[in-house]
Amino acid sequence: MVGVLSFLCATAAAQEKLPKGNFETGLFQPLRYGLSENIEISTHPVLMFFIPNFSVQKRHPNWAGLALVSRHSLVVPTPLLKMVTKKGVGGFISPEFDIPLMIALKNEIQLKRTLNDSWILSGTAGLTFSYCSKKLDKRTTIDLPVVFPRLGVFYNGYGINFRLDFAGTLLPRLDLLTDLNVLLLPGMEEGFAFEHKNLLTWALSNRMDIQIGYKLIFGEYPFGVQWHLFPLLDILWRW
Amino acid sequence: MKSKRSLIRTFHTLWFAGLVLLSCEPLVTDFRDIEDAIPYEASSKTNIQNSPDSLLVMTWNVRFGAARIPWFGDSCGDRVIMTKSEVIAHLENIADYINSVQPDILLLQEVDVESKRSGYIDQVQWFLDNTHFNYGAYASMWQAQFIPSDGLGRVDAGNAVLSRWEITDAERIQLPLRTDQDGLTQYFYLRRNILKTRIDVPNRDFYAVCTHTTAFATDDTKQKHIEMFYETISSIDTNAVFIAGGDLNSVPPEATTDYCMSDICSGESFHQAGDDPEHKEGSYFNNFTEEPLLLQSLYNEYYSAIEPESANSTGHFTHSPWNTESNNTTYWDRKLDYMFSSNSLSGGMTHQGANQLSDHAPVSAVLGLP
Repeated sequence: MVGVLSFLCATAAAQEKLPKGNFETGLFQPLRYGLSENIEISTHPVLMFFIPNFSVQKRHPNWAGLALVSRHSLVVPTPLLKMVTKKGVGGFISPEFDIPLMIALKNEIQLKRTLNDSWILSGTAGLTFSYCSKKLDKRTTIDLPVVFPRLGVFYNGYGINFRLDFAGTLLPRLDLLTDLNVLLLPGMEEGFAFEHKNLLTWALSNRMDIQIGYKLIFGEYPFGVQWHLFPLLDILWRW
Repeated sequence: MKSKRSLIRTFHTLWFAGLVLLSCEPLVTDFRDIEDAIPYEASSKTNIQNSPDSLLVMTWNVRFGAARIPWFGDSCGDRVIMTKSEVIAHLENIADYINSVQPDILLLQEVDVESKRSGYIDQVQWFLDNTHFNYGAYASMWQAQFIPSDGLGRVDAGNAVLSRWEITDAERIQLPLRTDQDGLTQYFYLRRNILKTRIDVPNRDFYAVCTHTTAFATDDTKQKHIEMFYETISSIDTNAVFIAGGDLNSVPPEATTDYCMSDICSGESFHQAGDDPEHKEGSYFNNFTEEPLLLQSLYNEYYSAIEPESANSTGHFTHSPWNTESNNTTYWDRKLDYMFSSNSLSGGMTHQGANQLSDHAPVSAVLGLP
């Protein structure tokens, strides 16, 4: 579940343009591949068996002086949710409920502005649609930060997200990524989550980075609103 | 300019490091040995008697508003998460019963406060707002952001004291943890307590003490819990009046101690060669030599709601794990719920008619005030 949380957290970390033919992956982050100079595909290779997932990102010609990127992701959490719908330890969902086929399609548009040689500001807007083969019982929610607002789209039918990223270089080998992510589930009682992340990336070599940071979350859950603070840690490899 | 940038960078680094260090929140709440309980107040107050010469006191394990549903943990069932409307209906039945009895002080066990299994209702506040009580105090025995087992999710459950009069002081006294569990199970398991309250009964120094001792321990944890309960009420000023009780999960002296076969679920086996465990957890009251006599000292030292000679009669049994899928019509088969006092108790009653409202029957008595 820690891996799943990290996977769900990781999207904003994949900021850098990946050259054609290159790979990059992390302990918790997806495997990215530069299919061409403008198209990048990604999937999480381990989680693929539990949460089939696939993402494609395309760089478009600049718009009003801003770099334009679109990203489309398909996620099927059904196998993992069925695995954790069980009696005893590891039962995140009560076995009294059935988990149907669930598919989410997330579409995002990102605009980037380079502020100077080392800092980039980007804004992202996204819309996620979901499909469930039968109505989900609301008691099946996993009321945890990061997880709840993302699985919330399956109870609501759709969700909206906005993100602001500020990324750049602090020191020659040390990068910083700061983001603010807003997840909205219009019409749901538990309709919002604000997530802020600060992530330092230390380049160990040309092929390996280490990341450390935190994620601060303020969100609505079925029991009310709550703050959460989590550590983030990952190692990235590229080749 | 350079020093300003350096200062900003230093500040940012310190802020960042501080947040990273702070960012490991525990999933399960640990409690100090003694800490303040959580005070509650009804949204609207009812009138109170100025100088009562007796109090009607009652104890009730309300099973977190699950009534008699076949819950997975204690009655051979497979239910885990109730709907909010289901819980409200159960709570309304309990509140109707409380309002019909009209106790002055009520000791509650297994009250949920915003738990997933019971529709995230704050049951302490709900009872205060739907009965004649004005004040409450709550001490959690199980508080976790998430229990990753059986779909339980978020849990906060514990003991509460409800009163017509203001509760001026309330403390949560931690009971020892079970020692017969592995570390991981113990981390996510219950942290039982004694809730000791001081109540502003006019012209009296009055205490109400509520507890729910271990049910499933197979070591001597139950003995430690009962001893600590005894010590807590023994330490109350001898000039003060107290009512103390709850679900002690112990049978009276000379009672039957083995309920394994009457509580057995399909697919289980006990008492046969090679059975591990040999006895069903929570259904066997003879795990160590002194266990059948654990309550003797309480009976010896204090007045009890139900006299010891009547405690083993069927009319005073307070519990059975019977559920709605059972064909058996015996709702009660053992006594687990008790009240003791420094002062004389009369009219002790076991409310066996409330057999569909919880898996425990309430026990009440009239406490004469000096």
